[in-house]
Amino acid sequence: MTLSDTTATTVARTRAATERHIPGRRKRRPLGDEGTLTHPSSHGLLLVLPAALFVCVFVLAPLVFALYISLTNWPLIGSYKFIGLDNYATIGRDPAFWQAVLYTLIYTAIVTLPILVLGYLMAVVVRANRPGSTLLRTVFFLPYVIGLSTLSFLMVLEAQPNSGAVNLLLKALHITDGTTAWLVNGPLATGLICALIIWAVSGSTMVLLLSGMQSIPREVYESAQVDGSSWMAREWHITIPMLRRPISMSLILSVIGSFLAFSQFFIMTGGGPGRDTTPIVLYIYQRAFVQLQVGAATAASVILIVVVAAISAVQFWLLRAED
Amino acid sequence: MATIAQPTRTTRSRPRRTGGGSGKGRSEDRVKLILYWLAAFLTVIVFVVPLLWFLMRSLQPGAVIAAPPDASSFFDLSTDNFRGLRAQGDMFRAVGNSIIVALGTCVLTTLLATMAGYGFGRFKFRGSGIAFGLILVTLMIPFQAILTPLFIQLSAMRLTDSLLGLVLFYSTVNLAFGTFVMRTAFMSVPDGLEEAARLDGSGTIGTFFHVLFPLVMPGMATTALFAFLAAWTEFLGALTFLTRQDLFTLPVALVNLQQGTYGQLDFGLLAAGSVTAMIPCVILFIALQRYYVAGLSAGSLKG
Repeated sequence: MTLSDTTATTVARTRAATERHIPGRRKRRPLGDEGTLTHPSSHGLLLVLPAALFVCVFVLAPLVFALYISLTNWPLIGSYKFIGLDNYATIGRDPAFWQAVLYTLIYTAIVTLPILVLGYLMAVVVRANRPGSTLLRTVFFLPYVIGLSTLSFLMVLEAQPNSGAVNLLLKALHITDGTTAWLVNGPLATGLICALIIWAVSGSTMVLLLSGMQSIPREVYESAQVDGSSWMAREWHITIPMLRRPISMSLILSVIGSFLAFSQFFIMTGGGPGRDTTPIVLYIYQRAFVQLQVGAATAASVILIVVVAAISAVQFWLLRAED
Repeated sequence: MATIAQPTRTTRSRPRRTGGGSGKGRSEDRVKLILYWLAAFLTVIVFVVPLLWFLMRSLQPGAVIAAPPDASSFFDLSTDNFRGLRAQGDMFRAVGNSIIVALGTCVLTTLLATMAGYGFGRFKFRGSGIAFGLILVTLMIPFQAILTPLFIQLSAMRLTDSLLGLVLFYSTVNLAFGTFVMRTAFMSVPDGLEEAARLDGSGTIGTFFHVLFPLVMPGMATTALFAFLAAWTEFLGALTFLTRQDLFTLPVALVNLQQGTYGQLDFGLLAAGSVTAMIPCVILFIALQRYYVAGLSAGSLKG
């Protein structure tokens, strides 16, 4: 997951999906294509043009190009020819591809729920304006701002046998003898990476849920309190149902983030040992830039695009249906 | 199990709570407060201590980081690693490259997004819906998935192995978010304010600088901050689009360091390099948190 990109995406997606539902928010001025004397339409167009151009050149063109390449035996240098769906067949026959798909799914399955639960708990802790709660929000969010690549480098140091903090801590707690070589063992490395990710990105879920929680009217809780319900009951019967939308939103975003995971694996294990910790984006990267099989790599990319776009579509649909 | 139980109504002024006695509400508040402080304490341990630990690591010699802790040397802290980093030409240049790329992205994204936000937020023109949809598409297409075609395209445009290429790419990645933020910022400017300036004879650009700029400045700060942080921490794109060592940004140079490309892997340098990558994020985030939160809550679920 590329962090900052995802934060930005979170916000804009949320907004894109919500905005059209806010009544009376959208139509500031009467709709119409014609500009006015003070606001000539040509100026509007000129202002928007550079941004639109960037999107065309650096997103839409490569997108179309991806489809094209995936149907050819594209080499980095030299000529190429159309080979139809051969690349897709190659990918489909490649056990490494399926291993990467499976690994990505396992990784996603492991981290998604803990991120949601931890993010939820964080939001519960900081939602009331108690002394220090602003500071806590900052602290919860800090790892996310620092970014996964930097944290991964630091974790490499702390995962070393005998000297790394992870081992020192486990030894101090008498759980292990502190000699574990985390990063050269598939399941152990996966566990460590998952722990790092849960720790690092829960803060973003917290932020999403927090703004949802703060928009629940206080009276709802007060009347529930009068009815004598317990705290747990109030969370379960009031907060969670009212947060359905931010919760599904954060789930979807964290699933997309997990599907696109790269840095932490590249840096901490390089995908190894063997292929044991290779998620799909790392598989694509290796296929394209190490094995130089651009066509096959791009075919895998196209599949990834379709999957992620489908999830995004579900997300937009969910948000729309809720209103 | 915690369900909503039918409360037993009594003559007490304070409503009774399930299974509770009088004054339960207040004692629950106290329990909550104690739990809160407990959570705060745990937070410090779980979230602050690791960061301080990393900071300390960057001040330890590499040999100490790599060895089992020994009380006699563990707290021999010095800035030698950072001096080593300074002396390591490639690493030092990488920090410079990162600064150039992050600042360039920050400026270009803010410029493009402000223009687009102005256009979408305050003008009506044919195709505005399509153009906005176009920019929205960027959000649905993860750049991780179009890396190969993008690489081929950028190298055809001679934009690989180029900091400019990286800036253009990062700016596009951040553009959708920025445009959203800026469109909202421009839309929330009251029409009257702008019209007054227009009637005084200001043109599109003049109105922006004289009237709109101070009003949309917070939005611009949000956009700039997000763009800077995104460019500073980005890894996959830089790794893919840069092959010349003298152009590496900090995260990519750290990979080299980690893999021992610059000679024997020195844990001290790796720690110091990572902390160098970390510190600007922490400082910027804490200093400009207001704008960061504004960006996030601008996208929050108000519906």
